[in-house]
Amino acid sequence: MKISRIVILPVLAVLWVLLNASSCNEPDNPEPESGKIKFVFDHTVDGQPVEFDKMIYENEAGNPYLVNEIQYFVSDFRLWKDGNALLLDKWEDIHYVDTDLPETRSYSPADDVPAGTFDSITFVFGITKEKNQSFMFVNPPESFMFWPEYLGGGYHYMKLNGKWKDLQEVVRPFNFHMGIGQIYNDSDEITGFVQNYFTVSLPNSNFVMEAQKATLVTITMNIEQWFKEPNLWDFNYWGGDIMENQEAMHTAKDNGHNVFTVKVED
Amino acid sequence: MKKMKVLSFFIINILAVFFWGCPGNNPPEPYQPTPYTIDIPKGFPTNLNIPEDNPMTEEGVELGRYLFYDGRLSGRTHPDSLMSCATCHPQGNSFEAGIDNPRFPGGIVFGMHGDTTHHVMLPMINLVWNFSGYGWNGFIWPENPNPDFRNIEDMVRAAVLAHDEIDGDTNRIKALFQNLPGYPELFAKAFGTDQIQFTHIEKAIAQFVRTLISANSKFDRYLRGEEQLSQSELQGYVLFTTEEGADCFHCHGGAGNPLFTTHLFYNNGKDTLFTDPADRYAITNKTSDIGAYKATTLRNIEFQAPYMHDGRFKTLEEVIDFYSEGLKNTPYVNPLMHHVADGGVRLTPQEKANLLNFIKTLRDDEFLVNPDFSKPDKFPDERK
Repeated sequence: MKISRIVILPVLAVLWVLLNASSCNEPDNPEPESGKIKFVFDHTVDGQPVEFDKMIYENEAGNPYLVNEIQYFVSDFRLWKDGNALLLDKWEDIHYVDTDLPETRSYSPADDVPAGTFDSITFVFGITKEKNQSFMFVNPPESFMFWPEYLGGGYHYMKLNGKWKDLQEVVRPFNFHMGIGQIYNDSDEITGFVQNYFTVSLPNSNFVMEAQKATLVTITMNIEQWFKEPNLWDFNYWGGDIMENQEAMHTAKDNGHNVFTVKVED
Repeated sequence: MKKMKVLSFFIINILAVFFWGCPGNNPPEPYQPTPYTIDIPKGFPTNLNIPEDNPMTEEGVELGRYLFYDGRLSGRTHPDSLMSCATCHPQGNSFEAGIDNPRFPGGIVFGMHGDTTHHVMLPMINLVWNFSGYGWNGFIWPENPNPDFRNIEDMVRAAVLAHDEIDGDTNRIKALFQNLPGYPELFAKAFGTDQIQFTHIEKAIAQFVRTLISANSKFDRYLRGEEQLSQSELQGYVLFTTEEGADCFHCHGGAGNPLFTTHLFYNNGKDTLFTDPADRYAITNKTSDIGAYKATTLRNIEFQAPYMHDGRFKTLEEVIDFYSEGLKNTPYVNPLMHHVADGGVRLTPQEKANLLNFIKTLRDDEFLVNPDFSKPDKFPDERK
């Protein structure tokens, strides 16, 4: 018994010293292998920062127009690498942008981004069907974006408000509002709903995320593109409101794929 | 020796009782107000506009309720010179004067000297959720660089001092309440000192005003599944929330925005000439705000006549007619008024009736009689 104690105790002591020595080799705070990403949202017309409330623009269809305000949701930001996507912030990733509220014009995801090269960035314009649930936002300004239950519920994807000058030179307001569309029967009754959110694939959005660095991604909404291609948008044809016009919202959605451009800075 | 010890013990005890045991010489009670919790109704915003320097307390709310109703808030005691918040904001009319008010004919309120206020009244409902400014043009707002014009507390002071309202003198008011038995004790419980400061009067009334919550209208009960709306009311709600209908919801909310206002400011197409020096433009200097005023909550709107900032419409029917056919197109009209070039939303008589029936479902009778909001039976100095 005594002999075994004499043998065991030194062995344990050596092991204790070795374990401590090996742990001392590990730094207390290992260097993170990830960085942060920040999105900033800009809004331009014909390459210049939008000037609000001035009838100085003309769309591709020849309609003079002004922009009063833009409010919209973007969500599901994904960073793509070798065909695999990193979804940022999961369910917390619905971001509201409001040109009247400067604090909404940037979004810093809570999630870290692993260092490395990324091929591209995508996001959803609006909110996916899975997430676009009525009453999920109780606080303004997001709650002010609610889309009436009767029209499909959830929230507006976007309110782009402004005015255009019609063929008789009458200035008319437009509410270029997008959200869930409706299908109507011959009796003008709603028989179904259509999801109009869409994924925006940002061209030239490859970037390198360096560890412990912040990457700034500026996403620009080129407003004139909503009215340009592939579909020419004529306010005199579509009128001033489109929430109950699925054909109009589908046309706007088609154009929406070309609306955003991106600039990445380290 | 033993007798002396016993005697000394009794003498010390008697002296102790004499000096420290008398009621008037009790050490002051520690200031421990009871936090007041606002029960947020389902679906309502969770963010509350409660300033950090005026947390809600049971004691503050109780004091605020007394002050809200006490006509001596004018700093005067003559029966003809009494004026409080409740003079113009009676609960029975949803804290508005009301168009049938015998004191204020047509609902046009005037102050101590008979001068009418520049604008008509705004609803005093659910203001704890207002972050966008008080008054028709929002001249009091939380981010105001001028710290004297930021919140309900400042609105209280403005109303007390304004010549066309109470026209009070803060020193006189303080001195009056300081000498009203019962009030200093209530101030001590609410704010930790029985030396009354006017800021404490502002804060107490503001705390009480923040408790004035309406969330039990027929429409609320419908949303909670407790009551059904009639076909006409339901059709009215569809009109309320559709662009091809009456399109009220963008400014006045709905199920998704139960405040029934955005608290924002819009030129809604009432005029072609804009001469009011107190419109929203006066605050922002943005041309798009010329002729713009706050969108009021539609809760209990049937009690809020006369309507619009200048009280030009006497009935809700007139208001609906205006939005249906009476809009005027100017460069300043808000784009949300997207039917303006056609004169309005062009409702049929039946649609107007349905819309009105829906709007009346926002009537909250419980709010009109809630004892927590009502005039106290007795003021502190009337208690025995």
